Amino acid sequence: MAFLRLRNLSVEFPVYQGGSQSLKKMLLAATTQGNLARDAMDRINVRALNDVTLDIEDGDRLGLIGANGAGKTTLLRVLAGIYFPTRGELHASGRVSALLDVSVGLNPEATGRENIILRGMYMNIHPREMRSRVDEIAEFTELGPYLDMPTRTYSSGMMIRLGFAVSTCIPPEILLMDEWLSAGDASFLEKAQRRMETFVGSSSILVLASHSTDLLRKWCNRGILLQHGRIAAQGNINDVIDAYSGAVAQRAGALAHP
Amino acid sequence: MSYRSADMSIDFSKRVSPSAAAWDDLVEGMSKSWMWSAMAMQDIRMRYRGSLLGPFWLTISMIIMIAAMGLIYARLFNMEIHRYLPFLTVGLVIWNFVSTVIIEGCQTFLSAQNVITQVRMPFSVHAWRTVCRNLIVLAHNMVIVPLVLIIFNVPVGWTVLLIVPALAILTINGIWVSILLGMISARYRDVPPIVMSFVQVIFFVTPIFWPPEALGVWMQALPLNPLFAAVDVIRAPLLGSAPLTYSWTVLLIVTVIGCIGTFALFAKFRTRITYWI
Repeated sequence: MAFLRLRNLSVEFPVYQGGSQSLKKMLLAATTQGNLARDAMDRINVRALNDVTLDIEDGDRLGLIGANGAGKTTLLRVLAGIYFPTRGELHASGRVSALLDVSVGLNPEATGRENIILRGMYMNIHPREMRSRVDEIAEFTELGPYLDMPTRTYSSGMMIRLGFAVSTCIPPEILLMDEWLSAGDASFLEKAQRRMETFVGSSSILVLASHSTDLLRKWCNRGILLQHGRIAAQGNINDVIDAYSGAVAQRAGALAHP
Repeated sequence: MSYRSADMSIDFSKRVSPSAAAWDDLVEGMSKSWMWSAMAMQDIRMRYRGSLLGPFWLTISMIIMIAAMGLIYARLFNMEIHRYLPFLTVGLVIWNFVSTVIIEGCQTFLSAQNVITQVRMPFSVHAWRTVCRNLIVLAHNMVIVPLVLIIFNVPVGWTVLLIVPALAILTINGIWVSILLGMISARYRDVPPIVMSFVQVIFFVTPIFWPPEALGVWMQALPLNPLFAAVDVIRAPLLGSAPLTYSWTVLLIVTVIGCIGTFALFAKFRTRITYWI
């Protein structure tokens, strides 16, 4: 049984800049006071997630909605085990596939085929197994002879085809997705949607962060609205989308009529 | 068709102490040898893609350096060429490994920034990648050693087998150095250049291009320099002699202290690394 349970989870990260990244300045600050000390500890703490409590169980298709900077990607990274919470707890069980960046591990100097093996490696799939899948993945990408060229020659749409094909070659128990499909062309998007149908069907939990309300209504049954790192609304996906649109309209209205 | 696990399966349902989590990380990292060895090979292939001789460029440049230095410094130190050149060759090959592991160790997590922030994997995998990559380069450079030993008729006995445990110890040291310096450099960005300067200075005070005998009675104090101990335990068996007394002792002490100290820091700060880079 896969599950993801968050209890009072917060993620706070310090943004180091300039002086606070310097060992020399840190050491100097210890011996002097005043301005040098201020420089050395010159860091801003960003609270990306604030006291989040959430239960995600088998069968949940959760949509993450919110403005840019609301904390969607941070939440996905916490669920993926990439960011460790600074407060609170995460209890999780299950095989996770985090599709947060379609091009992770892709090497621009390597050919498309080599990158398929490489990307698979970052998904914890042994190269031997990946090699047996290369042909089916190559066929899905429809990139033909370009697969033998270095990926630095690819357009962003081609990179997405490659990245998506590899990332979706194995169905996981928990699938975390940050939206990056929008750069694909129409025929690819259609193909991707058909694959997503089979893919999402066999994964037990899906968490998808997206701005596309169509995608959210289609794939998700639950939704949460994030605002400044807090859950502002949760419930049925349609209700949460309406709440978000309502909040957006309200802010737009407030801006238009000050 | 059966499916293998995609990504890393996480089971945070049991609460684990930081030390247990750090230990799990080290064990899991070491077990993923197919992953870090493939990454290391990839690094090497990419570094030399498009070049004619590949990693053997390093070997060539080393041969040139040895030839140039060998002729002049043998005269300077009043050593015969047939004794000095093998000494210099082996010393330089090992020093190259040790110094590069230390310098590249600083970049362990920094260079893997995009991977660390996108994919969950044990942090120690990156350390193994650094060390493995340098072991591959060492293997390429070691090609010169048998040549030089044969050309200069160096008597080599079964003591040469001692290089196996010596390399094992150096590998372990490489891991803790990569993790420790990797963490410190991720937090304090001016550490890599500091380390680089340090290593350069140590090169001059370690008998690599000058013979330890030149120090006379001070020679016995040499093993206090752990980098000398590291070079000595491999160089001496290859040249058919024994390492200086205490070289192994110093090396083992440094290994133990390094491993324990790094483990303590790793346990404490492992969860912060992602936020530092």
